Amino acid sequence: MGRRNRKNQFPGGLTGGLYKPLTDEKIQKIHKAAMKVFEETGIEVNDERALKAFNEAGADVDFDKKIVRAKEDWILEKISTAPEAVTLYGRDEKHNMVLDGYDVYIGTGGTATNALDLETGERKPSNLEDVQKAARLVDALENIHYFVISCFPNELEKENIDVNRFYAALRNTTKHVMGGVYTREGIENITKYAEEIAGGRDKLLEKPFLSFITCIMSPLVMDKDYTDLMIAAIESGLPLATPTAPMAGSTSPGSLAGTLVQMTVEALSGVLLTQIIDPGHPVLFSCVPTTSDLRTGAFCFGSIEMGMMNSACSQLSRFYKLPNYTTAGVNESKVPDIQSGYESMATTLLCALSGCNYIHDAAGLIESGLSISYEQYVIDNDILGMCMRAVKGIDVDDNTLAVDVINDVGPAGNFLSHSHTIKNMQGEFFYNKVSDRKTRITWEKEGSLDATERARIMAKDILENYKPNFIPKDVEEKILKDTPGIVQNWLD
Amino acid sequence: MEKLFNNIAESVLDGDIKETKRLTEEAIEKNATAKEILNKGLLKGMNEVGVLFKEGELFVPEVLISAKAMDTGMQIIKPLIKEGDIKKSGKCLFATVKGDLHDIGKKLVSMMLEGAGYEVINLGVDTSPEKIVEAVKEHQPDILGMSAMLTTTMANMNDTIKALEENGLADKVKIMVGGAPVSPNYAESIGVNYSSDAHSAVELANKLMK
Repeated sequence: MGRRNRKNQFPGGLTGGLYKPLTDEKIQKIHKAAMKVFEETGIEVNDERALKAFNEAGADVDFDKKIVRAKEDWILEKISTAPEAVTLYGRDEKHNMVLDGYDVYIGTGGTATNALDLETGERKPSNLEDVQKAARLVDALENIHYFVISCFPNELEKENIDVNRFYAALRNTTKHVMGGVYTREGIENITKYAEEIAGGRDKLLEKPFLSFITCIMSPLVMDKDYTDLMIAAIESGLPLATPTAPMAGSTSPGSLAGTLVQMTVEALSGVLLTQIIDPGHPVLFSCVPTTSDLRTGAFCFGSIEMGMMNSACSQLSRFYKLPNYTTAGVNESKVPDIQSGYESMATTLLCALSGCNYIHDAAGLIESGLSISYEQYVIDNDILGMCMRAVKGIDVDDNTLAVDVINDVGPAGNFLSHSHTIKNMQGEFFYNKVSDRKTRITWEKEGSLDATERARIMAKDILENYKPNFIPKDVEEKILKDTPGIVQNWLD
Repeated sequence: MEKLFNNIAESVLDGDIKETKRLTEEAIEKNATAKEILNKGLLKGMNEVGVLFKEGELFVPEVLISAKAMDTGMQIIKPLIKEGDIKKSGKCLFATVKGDLHDIGKKLVSMMLEGAGYEVINLGVDTSPEKIVEAVKEHQPDILGMSAMLTTTMANMNDTIKALEENGLADKVKIMVGGAPVSPNYAESIGVNYSSDAHSAVELANKLMK
């Protein structure tokens, strides 16, 4: 007799926008302020080709000081070639994501340099096996919509990092893979084997199942190395995020609005360079506004203000008619615990409700992004599901108003066995997996486990038993033979 | 014929009441015995429901609908059932104790027990010890279930037990209790059995009937 395969009723792509931290007037003020900064202060660009490109496109370039300034009209005209919606594909088409309007997708982030051991809880430098395991876990967790490569393989030489990190990810999940890159050759070689997997360059560019991240530095700097990588990524033809991570109070003004102003200038810089070099290139308005804890100067990835600012990015990006990449769900906790739970939930929920398109860092990361925790991926899978449920909102129609059903059951009756309850029990309610809702006595019988311990059991179970849809054998053989520096042995 | 029995089981699992009715009638037309329909069809389906519920695959409302489907089939084959065809699970009497008006938990337990083949008589809410004593005399159940939602009304469980003792009924019926304030310790202190949710209530009843 058959098992019931329940469909995920709260998948990625539901439309948010119920929470709007900014009014139209506030958006205008932030925009005008950002334009003023672009015109008066400008950005520092430490790459000769980028400077020339800005100059030829008509920006005001001071080659001596490497400063690019620009006016509002020019900026708005140049970014207008960027697509309003970007589709990020999965190797399996059921994981395709259309980043449009206020549609919400939530996924993981990186790049941590440590991983908590699932057996001992010990924090260790992360390695290539951790990348594979995180990708595999995410492939199995239904509420995590894509995989931004989780951690850094510390054991590898720098020139071999890129090809192996991306291959570890692509091999273990059919969800979209995005990742930071470290070398130009890496970008080129990844693109080569991605073409192999896709069955040709045309097919890859038509349905890109991977994309790159290259950073902009706050305040207002396009770094030499990162800009070189950004240009290489643009040349690859694959979609690109160019995030900037101002820390309010230290690398941006000590105010939320001021941080959004500076961040807007930085985020637009990435979009501008992309569109100048390759008009129409799929690029995201990429935002990582964070805060500093001014009691100590500590970097804060899980502050409530961070959630508020990232939520505002959905509104700012739509003002510029661009899809957005935002950040939420990270936390400062050193282990998966209550702090990692409430900090992750607070920022992710705000961003989801505001309709951010691509909320990254929202699963698996702890310790301000310095470490991954396998338990945290499983816990965040619950959190993300709850957030998507909230995004769906309260449906009000004849079916959900249920007047006939209330009449049918009548006073002192019960709704448990009514067909209306069965019909709606999947679409109306989200069922947590980690949360314990049993009676105390059952909980005690099952070992009095807390949420982290339950998540650990679930993570172990997935890693022991779940097999992703690997890259086809013949394609893999060719990739392992042709790609310089690629590791030959992979987790079965 | 075997395929038909499987389809009956499947229809119970799906909670498809109309289909269970149709298939059961078809089986009778084809001269299947009541025992075969019951064991290879209706009960087989319900047993699978129990397994899937325990694994979390099926939800409570689905179990209750499956139980309804099984009952529909039972009503059809009832006239054909011979002595010894069915082993009755047992007869239960359920009540929310005096002063307490909460009953959704008790209803859930009742429905789950019915799904497991028990005959359940429900006395409703705010049931006095006297009323319970009368009902035990009248129905002679195997099991008496009492429920309370409030700490203040929980004590009425003990009063009821004393009333049963005074009437010489306490050792003629197995007693199980449940409800939010009730604990295993409390149940033990008043000499009765405890279960913490609807699923374990069925397990407890099965244990008490052995």
